[in-house]
Amino acid sequence: MPPRFWALVLVAVGAIIVQSTLLQPLTLRGAHVSLLTILLVWTGLRCGVTTAGALGLLSGAIEDALGGAGVNVLATTVTGLCAGLLNVRFFADSLPVFVSAVGFATVLRGLVTYMVSELALGIRGSFHRASHELVWQCVLNCAVAALALIIERIAGHVRK
Amino acid sequence: MVAIASFWDERKLLVFVTLIIVASIVMLVELEAARRGDRSLPDQLITSVIVPVEDALTQTEGAVATEVRTLTRAGTLASDNAALQRKVQELAASNERLKEHAAENVRLRRMLALAQTVPLQTIAASVVGYAPEGTRREITIDRGWRDGVSHDAVVLDGDGLVGHVMDTGPHDAHVLLIIDPTSNVPAFLRDTRTWGIATGTWQHIRMKYIGQDVKVRAGDTVVTGKGEIYPEGIVIGTVREVDRKDNALYQSAVVTPAVDFDGLLHVLVVRR
Repeated sequence: MPPRFWALVLVAVGAIIVQSTLLQPLTLRGAHVSLLTILLVWTGLRCGVTTAGALGLLSGAIEDALGGAGVNVLATTVTGLCAGLLNVRFFADSLPVFVSAVGFATVLRGLVTYMVSELALGIRGSFHRASHELVWQCVLNCAVAALALIIERIAGHVRK
Repeated sequence: MVAIASFWDERKLLVFVTLIIVASIVMLVELEAARRGDRSLPDQLITSVIVPVEDALTQTEGAVATEVRTLTRAGTLASDNAALQRKVQELAASNERLKEHAAENVRLRRMLALAQTVPLQTIAASVVGYAPEGTRREITIDRGWRDGVSHDAVVLDGDGLVGHVMDTGPHDAHVLLIIDPTSNVPAFLRDTRTWGIATGTWQHIRMKYIGQDVKVRAGDTVVTGKGEIYPEGIVIGTVREVDRKDNALYQSAVVTPAVDFDGLLHVLVVRR
């Protein structure tokens, strides 16, 4: 059964708070793990376009309120919508599908954020830094996504 | 079957387009508010709920980290205690000498009639969070306009300049760090009094528009120049390397910030 929307919003808020506080010192060559991107892909694969898109919109707005000046909301919405297009309920538990989707979503989100930063905030010449961090964020997100799915499976087995 | 597929495709397309339009509108509202140095109403609501949670979480994390450090060091506490007692005796002796020096210093100051610099009025604040995705270099502090923090107020810590306040809520404020690429600070090299603009490069600072005839050396101290926002003389950092090309109008320098932005816990906000 797909999770309820308000429960997903609560998890997203928790993920954003953890990212902006506890996970802040943990970096891999300047890149931070994005729990929200992983959650959006997870939601997209299980719940489809509408839920993942709406979750992306809400969580992006929350991220921008906490620091981002408007560069996150479009990126998270597009990420949620694209993850929702995959909506492969049957394969949603497949580790390779989930991890690859997280990788693609990280790149997509990074590119949209980069474009908005360049066009709207006038930050010029940051492609080198953005692409460098994006590669490492991709690695981090895929690793955390794989770990999360394995933990979810183990928890499922224990419950059974 | 085809009709059902087409219905779903249309519905998906409608959701897709609607959500992108809504997200674009939200983005434009946020960007416009950021340009004005203001906060939109939804932002105010969201921060008023989430910032206290961030604050509590940061404090809890600090307390837990301290406890863990204490527990891991329990084995060495006895030897540490003995070493500290010896240190206290040494410090007590040197403290007496320092008292004498301090008294002498006061007398000399009076004799030379040195004008005391007017101290900046500041508000102490704690850092409660960073930008969640690192898309901008900014922090959230636990003081807002009700505490006297205002838009464009300068933020410092013990080592030097941190940044300036972008927008304020009643009990919190966002601070743009000087390493953010949108931050531009009027700056000069303390030794040569040469002006330039210190711009963030995510991890470091680049001091631009330094005249070609100026001799810039690694290790030179960069401080703020008096501007609309910044008071004069606050340390920004030290020059790490100089970028000088013969065919360019200006030279620039890579500056290592004086402040450790990854370990910021407490800051001072200058009252405007």
